[in-house]
Amino acid sequence: MIDLSGVDLEYGARLVLSGVSFRSGRGEFLGIVGPNGSGKTTLLKAIARLVSPARGVVLLDGQEISNFPAIALSRLVGLVPQATAPGFDFSVREVVAMGRYPHIGMFGQEKPADREAIRRAMEVTGTTPIASRSVREISGGELQRVLIARALAQEPAVLLLDEATAHLDLGHQVSILQTVRDLSRRIAVIGVFHDLNHAAHFCDRLVLLHDHRVLALGPPAMVLTEKNIGKAFGVRATVRVNPLSGRPVVSPVLESPSGMTRSLHVHVICGGGEGAGILSALHGEGYRVSAGVLAVNDSDYQTAQALGIPCITEPPFAPISGCSLANLELVTGQAGAVVVTKGPWGSGNIGNLRVLASLDPERIILVDSTPENGGEWDFTGGEARGILDSLKRRGARVVMDVPSVSASIREIEGGEW
Amino acid sequence: MQIPRHALILLGLVSLLAASMVACTLVGPAGIALLSLQQDGSGATILYGVRLPRVISAVLVGAALAAAGAVMQGLFRNSMADPYLLGTSSGGALGAATAIILIGGASSWVFAFAGCMGAAFLVYGISRRSGRVPVEQLLLTGIAVSMFLGAVLSFLMYVSGESLHLIFLWLMGGFWNISWQDTWIGFLILPAAVPLLLLSREQDILALGEEDAVSLGVDTELLKKALLGISAFLTAIAVSIAGSIGFIGLITPHIMRLLVGPGHRVLIPASMLAGGTLLVLSDALARTVGNEVPVGVVTAFFGAPFFVFLLRRRYAS
Repeated sequence: MIDLSGVDLEYGARLVLSGVSFRSGRGEFLGIVGPNGSGKTTLLKAIARLVSPARGVVLLDGQEISNFPAIALSRLVGLVPQATAPGFDFSVREVVAMGRYPHIGMFGQEKPADREAIRRAMEVTGTTPIASRSVREISGGELQRVLIARALAQEPAVLLLDEATAHLDLGHQVSILQTVRDLSRRIAVIGVFHDLNHAAHFCDRLVLLHDHRVLALGPPAMVLTEKNIGKAFGVRATVRVNPLSGRPVVSPVLESPSGMTRSLHVHVICGGGEGAGILSALHGEGYRVSAGVLAVNDSDYQTAQALGIPCITEPPFAPISGCSLANLELVTGQAGAVVVTKGPWGSGNIGNLRVLASLDPERIILVDSTPENGGEWDFTGGEARGILDSLKRRGARVVMDVPSVSASIREIEGGEW
Repeated sequence: MQIPRHALILLGLVSLLAASMVACTLVGPAGIALLSLQQDGSGATILYGVRLPRVISAVLVGAALAAAGAVMQGLFRNSMADPYLLGTSSGGALGAATAIILIGGASSWVFAFAGCMGAAFLVYGISRRSGRVPVEQLLLTGIAVSMFLGAVLSFLMYVSGESLHLIFLWLMGGFWNISWQDTWIGFLILPAAVPLLLLSREQDILALGEEDAVSLGVDTELLKKALLGISAFLTAIAVSIAGSIGFIGLITPHIMRLLVGPGHRVLIPASMLAGGTLLVLSDALARTVGNEVPVGVVTAFFGAPFFVFLLRRRYAS
């Protein structure tokens, strides 16, 4: 339906994009992503014929869009621009009704079909209750919904969205994008996204722009790789699969603010996701961090992997082997501090705690291990509780949250000097 | 619910205009008793030969300026825009001054009209880049061209010698020497305003932004050309009849927008009715209380403070 081939876009004498080629059709929700200034909006405007390509062609249903009369094109292509403050006090309904102009034309009148399209568009976007308010009085998010309603009233075959949900709250973001995705089963939808995770969640395919060209094009999982994100955005990120949707989820990795590294070695005994925040924080603060023993199907292991933290590992659901235990003894013996997250502890991981008995308790930090917090955590018949209680008596530090872990480690670090 | 309200406002404005016209026809330095009209020939002469063309001209000029102002404000998406933005006022003045110096002021209105249209075309031509005319470009070019034409006018006035007085009178603007001939020319304003009403839906869309308008299928370049051409024509007729009278074209659409909203289908007729009313009342004030002070003095005297009041109210909210 929309077919770009070899499109070069220029802004004045400056090259914005070169050699852009892709096609998208009915039934697809295509997302355009990329860093600021990578030409996302310009590309969208080229499809809407608001800018003309310096080279190459944009085809709509096999015909060059430059050949369409303005009114005919507007019946086929609808654009939701980035919301800007309107200059005059038109009412919300008046603005939505402007979306029918392509169908009504110069001397026509609003017909029942037009009124029905306006009503539906306002209902879907939740703008019916503000129909008579001025577009200058409503909030940015409401205005954005009004502009979406205007484009929906247009009933186009190709709907173009320029960061259309950027100013919306989570509820409206999801409901609007859901509506748009449902719509994309019948029409072609192309949207510029700022939020990679929204793009990954709602789009069928993504176009990633970087350095004046298309860096990657394909399903979200193929486009949003750690390598591509690093290249396009200059940031280290981890990409995981959202367990609810199977779509990729991108999270940036916090580097230590000034690239500072600290000499202190901190070992983290964790599991079941309890360690993620601590691993990430300590890594970000520049400590040399290690973790384990962890099973390789544990989410904490994935966090450690993503951060590049060395780990002592075991296969899934296996008890801790003698070899790993020896490794753990070695590592914890050398570490300046050992952080132990809260359980649960069972026969599979109790080995992690047994090692602690031989360590200097002053260097041990226990996180949130008080039995009052949470339910059952000791599945070892009292052994885990015994070890932890004895550590507490002998002077191990007990903290409740991640910032306190950092603070305790700084104290230990200070003591070393 | 909305349409009757607007119809009611328009009806009110029509009545207000009619009442103002009647009242302004009846007041003047020479008192005329209505009942004595039939016996007294001089009363009828003053009424039909002097006051009636003057009142009708003032209404037409006021309507033209207000309509052009409303169009320009929508086009430039700026409620500070006025009909003279395209350099029409200085172009007209230059035309009239040329006529006064070269041929002693005969048919100076033709020269004023030509000056207005010439200035508008010049501004449009300079702003045009590969078939497109960005409105910011128009705005800035309009200012530059106005300044340039103003400089030429100042030079002409400097070397004009005895004609300086006539040029000065023309510049101040007014209706003191109006004849039926001017009024007939003024009637051209009415057919010229018709396309503005027909293009009201397009103007509404354009007022929201040019890219929005393009993506909704409005041929914005053609529309801008039409709107600029018509506004320049309306302004040129107004200027050639009465010189450049300020504030009517700026304030009237402003007030009407508060009253009827920004939709041009109602805004333009409402502005025309109100502009006519305001100018005919200002002129009546100028020729009675003001002892034939130029009407531009009256409109500015009341218009400027009122405009400041509007601005402050807007920023307060």
